[in-house]
Amino acid sequence: MKITHNKNKKGQMKIQQMVFMLMAVTLLFVLVGVFFLSIQLSNLKKTASNLEEEESMLLVSKLANSPEFSCGNAFGTSRTNCIDFDKLMALKVKANEYADFWGIAKIEVMIIYPDNGEISCEQSNYPDCGVIEILDKNVNTQAASSNFVSLCMKQVTDTKIYDKCELALLMVSAEDKS
Amino acid sequence: MRLRGVYKKGQEEMVGFIVIVVMVSIILLVLLGFMLKSSSTETVEDYEVESFIGAMLQYTSNCEADLEFLSVQDLIVECHTGSSCLDGEKSCDVLNSTLKDLIKSGWNVNDQSAVKGYSFEVTAGDTSIFSLQAGNKTSDYKGAYQDFSKRSSTYVVSLDVYY
Repeated sequence: MKITHNKNKKGQMKIQQMVFMLMAVTLLFVLVGVFFLSIQLSNLKKTASNLEEEESMLLVSKLANSPEFSCGNAFGTSRTNCIDFDKLMALKVKANEYADFWGIAKIEVMIIYPDNGEISCEQSNYPDCGVIEILDKNVNTQAASSNFVSLCMKQVTDTKIYDKCELALLMVSAEDKS
Repeated sequence: MRLRGVYKKGQEEMVGFIVIVVMVSIILLVLLGFMLKSSSTETVEDYEVESFIGAMLQYTSNCEADLEFLSVQDLIVECHTGSSCLDGEKSCDVLNSTLKDLIKSGWNVNDQSAVKGYSFEVTAGDTSIFSLQAGNKTSDYKGAYQDFSKRSSTYVVSLDVYY
């Protein structure tokens, strides 16, 4: 009787040990899973930001040739990466209507040669200015993706009207969601 | 003797537990390694170099011809033929100063900048019309070229940007 009772107790102990062991291992795996999931979730916002950055990079490489920006045939033959300064100034006025059109947070064009400083372009000082802010949603933005463009306009002297193109940088920034 | 057997079993179980912990740790480390492997962002993009050449060729210079101010592309052709601007200045002199200023404005070379150096050249066939190098030539670079033909000559404008 005593021997059977002892054997049962030992067996129970063994089962208890096994249960504790299984619980510990399960807990360990659960903890690992939770840790992994928390990292994945924290990276989700970063991934969203990266996707937006990629989108802005793709956009900046084709934006200059879109109808809203491109020179078309206004300066002789059709040119690539050519932005019509007059179109930009008109677009700047209507920027609010285009706020969600491109799906990005900020678009600006900076004249880099000749250096006109950082004077913002308005109807009053056009074309003697350096930065044309097309769109600004006033949110936190990522580093801008940029592309070189030629910014062209019609100029008038006493004797003639001629085409003048300057070197500019088209900059596009996506919203920083991280 | 019996006690020794119990200790031995306990030791075996501990070893088993440690093996599981080590295995889980290795899996965790591998996963972390994959996650922390950040994609390196390139500082200079292909399209930037290509677009720079295109935009630069369209730039309107100070060299006035009969009807208009010449673009850099036209100025390259005028320089090759050895002609002068309306104000008497040699087209090659205007081309040299314009190209230098344009390239310096576009690519800022210094230790803090992403751009470590560049190599720019304009050729007409085998003849070099203009060349400019600055900074260091590193193993990482992005390059582009654009060619055009005018007055039976083919001109090639090439730019390599080192980062």
